[in-house]
Amino acid sequence: MSAKNFIDKIKNQEIDIVEHTEKILGECKEINKEYGYFNTISEGLALEQAKEIRKQLKNSSKNLKNKKLLGIAISAKDAICVKGVETTAGSKILQNYKPLFDAFVIQKVKEEGGIIIGKTAQDEFGFGTFSINSAFGIPKNPFDTERSCGGSSGGAAGLSQKLANHIALGESTGGSITTPASFCGVYGLCPTYGRVSRCGLIDFANSLDKIGPMGKTIEDVALLMNVIAGHDANDSTSLNEKSEDYEKYVKKPVKGMKIGIIKEAFGSGVEREVEKNVYNGIQELEEEGAKAEEVSLELPIKYGIPTYYMIATSEASTNLAKYCGMRYGAFEKLEGSFNEYFTKVRSNNFGEEVKRRIILGTFARMAGYRDAFYLKAAKVRTLMINEYKKAFRKFDALVSPTISILPPKFSDIEKLSPLQHYMIDVMTVSPNVAGLPHLNVPVGFEKNLPVGMLLIADHLQEGKLIQLGSVFGNE
Amino acid sequence: MNHKKFTSDIVIGLEIHAELNTKTKLFCSCPTKGNEEPNTRTCPTCLGMPGSKPVLNKKAVEFALKLCLALGCEISPELIFSRKSYFYPDMAKNYQITQYEVPLGKKGKLKLSNGKEVGITRVHMEEDPASLIHPAGMKESQYVLVDYNRSGNPLVEIVTEPDLTSPDEAREFMKQLITVLDYLEIFDINGGIIKADANISIKESSYKRVEIKNITGFKEIERALLYEVKRQKEEAHKIEQETRSWDSERGVTFSLRKKETEEDYGYIIDTDLVAIEIEDKWVSGLRKHMPELAQDKVRKFIDKYKIKKDDAEILASDKQLAEMFEKVAEEIDPLLAAKWIRKELLRVLNYNKKSLTESGITEIQMIDLLKLVERKHITENVASKILEMLSADFDVNKYVKKEGLEAVSDISELEKYCREAIEENPKAVEDYKKGGARALNFIVGAVMRKTKGKATPKEVNEIILKLIK
Repeated sequence: MSAKNFIDKIKNQEIDIVEHTEKILGECKEINKEYGYFNTISEGLALEQAKEIRKQLKNSSKNLKNKKLLGIAISAKDAICVKGVETTAGSKILQNYKPLFDAFVIQKVKEEGGIIIGKTAQDEFGFGTFSINSAFGIPKNPFDTERSCGGSSGGAAGLSQKLANHIALGESTGGSITTPASFCGVYGLCPTYGRVSRCGLIDFANSLDKIGPMGKTIEDVALLMNVIAGHDANDSTSLNEKSEDYEKYVKKPVKGMKIGIIKEAFGSGVEREVEKNVYNGIQELEEEGAKAEEVSLELPIKYGIPTYYMIATSEASTNLAKYCGMRYGAFEKLEGSFNEYFTKVRSNNFGEEVKRRIILGTFARMAGYRDAFYLKAAKVRTLMINEYKKAFRKFDALVSPTISILPPKFSDIEKLSPLQHYMIDVMTVSPNVAGLPHLNVPVGFEKNLPVGMLLIADHLQEGKLIQLGSVFGNE
Repeated sequence: MNHKKFTSDIVIGLEIHAELNTKTKLFCSCPTKGNEEPNTRTCPTCLGMPGSKPVLNKKAVEFALKLCLALGCEISPELIFSRKSYFYPDMAKNYQITQYEVPLGKKGKLKLSNGKEVGITRVHMEEDPASLIHPAGMKESQYVLVDYNRSGNPLVEIVTEPDLTSPDEAREFMKQLITVLDYLEIFDINGGIIKADANISIKESSYKRVEIKNITGFKEIERALLYEVKRQKEEAHKIEQETRSWDSERGVTFSLRKKETEEDYGYIIDTDLVAIEIEDKWVSGLRKHMPELAQDKVRKFIDKYKIKKDDAEILASDKQLAEMFEKVAEEIDPLLAAKWIRKELLRVLNYNKKSLTESGITEIQMIDLLKLVERKHITENVASKILEMLSADFDVNKYVKKEGLEAVSDISELEKYCREAIEENPKAVEDYKKGGARALNFIVGAVMRKTKGKATPKEVNEIILKLIK
């Protein structure tokens, strides 16, 4: 059932919203047992919301007439603050932390009648590609539980595949929406930086973080995007421009659109099954009248990873300083000087990858190194944006595999070094560094595992991505 | 430090932090003043809660820009904030939002009253940390309480060139700066916090730089630096580059850390705040509406009211005083107004240790009072006494009437008092006739007591002389 049909049934009370929400929560618990997609299921909040909507429907459905998400289950990546619901960003240091306020996107979802069902599993503070760096459970791939569902929005992607009538709020810093979307066979849209407010998002890297929708269909993604996009005065980096109606791009003909195939993103290092399926995807677009040709984007592919890690870890290392056991989250026995106490709290409650990135980021911004690392990375970032901008003078969208491999087994991930880990993000980090909107489109299956294609568009051109993405899948 | 460039025996540079008196904090809408109950003026942003984001208070930028203009700074075309990272319990986020690479203003100057110009290296904006409370005193307390009411208040930091050559000059600089802040109405002269860190070095130690932290107010800066100059001269051969703190209670500085290695704050741009273009239009608009500053007032007082330069400078050095003078001088003789405000009013304020605002004395009261003096309706003596009594709701005219304090100018009445006094003090009269000039004062005093000061001593003097002869 499409979201539109479902919402109509809720509105005319063919489906009882409370009963439906109870059913959904039951399914969530079942799914969670096997796949571990939730850090918290917000049963209390969800039922409270459902009951309130039922009350309003019984009185008069008038003010609910235009609600865009009425009764739809919405999950939020754990880094997104939900008032009164445990919000940890996957970290032990925030265990039991219940925010005092809703993130902007949660406010919007609530206003539109969406039911917040819980907080989805992720890598701690978003630091990872496979959702294995979590203080809590590790989410498992919906197609094979011995494999990863990608990260860092792993729970969001897996849940989107398994749970009907649900759309997820994910978050991406360097590929954390599109990578898990690819591994779980769902759509994931990472919007232009600043298109969706970050207010209430627990920071990873402030100049890179973006909240975006993830769902089983492109319609779902466009629908949630319509709810969350827009200006927010409480986030200084929020773009002060009207957002578009993204739903009108669904199934809009793609005839004549120009697609640039990123030359450097194919060939060595990319699994052949992945490459094959992405080429099939490109062919499908061409069959619909889009024109594809190769384009070279050397700089983003070559320098994306180092640039990303310098900027992301520098910012992250300052963002994580606030967690010191003083005002919220984990604390330890109070003894010694404040330095000793802070050190104890942070040593005992941050995971290994968090500590690695704090050290990396602190090093990169130290006097004597910041010129060579942090400041140079900022310059390369500008050059990368320029190279993309040049390409967008010619193309409506760029295409590459989302990730070069099929979802790997946990046992294989263990064998990777941290650097090999980081290199896997090569396709997704560059559009993230450049703040460009990008979309994972599920284009096929290989060995019963999904393959994703990455579409990148110019700033604020999310509509084109939805237009191209809606060529695929006929659900 | 390369000491070759220094020519004076003492070299001082200051870093001054002043609180801007905006209604709300620098990055959130919490009030900067009001409820003093700890941790009541807070929100997720100034508490550093996860997910909160800063939103810049433009009014604070405007205030800081005004200061830059008053100090003749070059103004940056862009406003950029950075994160200064260090762990400390008063920091909500363990980084402070400040300005690093590009300060709001640079290359300014401030003129001292002796005409010397002190270079301003930079003026930048930053947020105040929370305040730490040591319930049993700094050293003894087993624990510390944190009050976030102050967290996020807007500060402006002013860094000078090492142009100051004595503790006295440093004091004078601070004083001049406070006057500027006051005239610009960007600082609460009565309750605002102003703190300084001072870099000081002397020739005897080959200009080894010592930094003194934590000096509050302009009187303290002189005390702290006088102490430090003396200490450095006494220990010249063993002075090391170090950071010390000023203990105002004990009147000494003490070492915080030796062998100063530059602290590494790992500055990065704060990308939660976008770079804001400081448009020429904005700056020129502010420039157009800049209030008169002390130097403008001095010139105006001399040209328009023809008062002495010395008086003009003293009046202008306090904005409230200067404004009162201007209003009073419109109503009565400016020379009389200058004399009374500069000498008598200041004397009363100093005695009561109050600022003009705190005293509640209004220009209407001063005009009433000085009109009576000008028209010789009361004596200066009586006026002085009334001035001492002035407070917010005091009505000068009513009081004079009620107490019958109008000057006795009726000669016959005065003569009556004088006769009485002569009769009552025969010994004094005799002493005077024998050549004891001071005995005359005694008789005059007796008359003054009888008239409750309503007569002028000069007149009384003349009448007594006439009567005794």
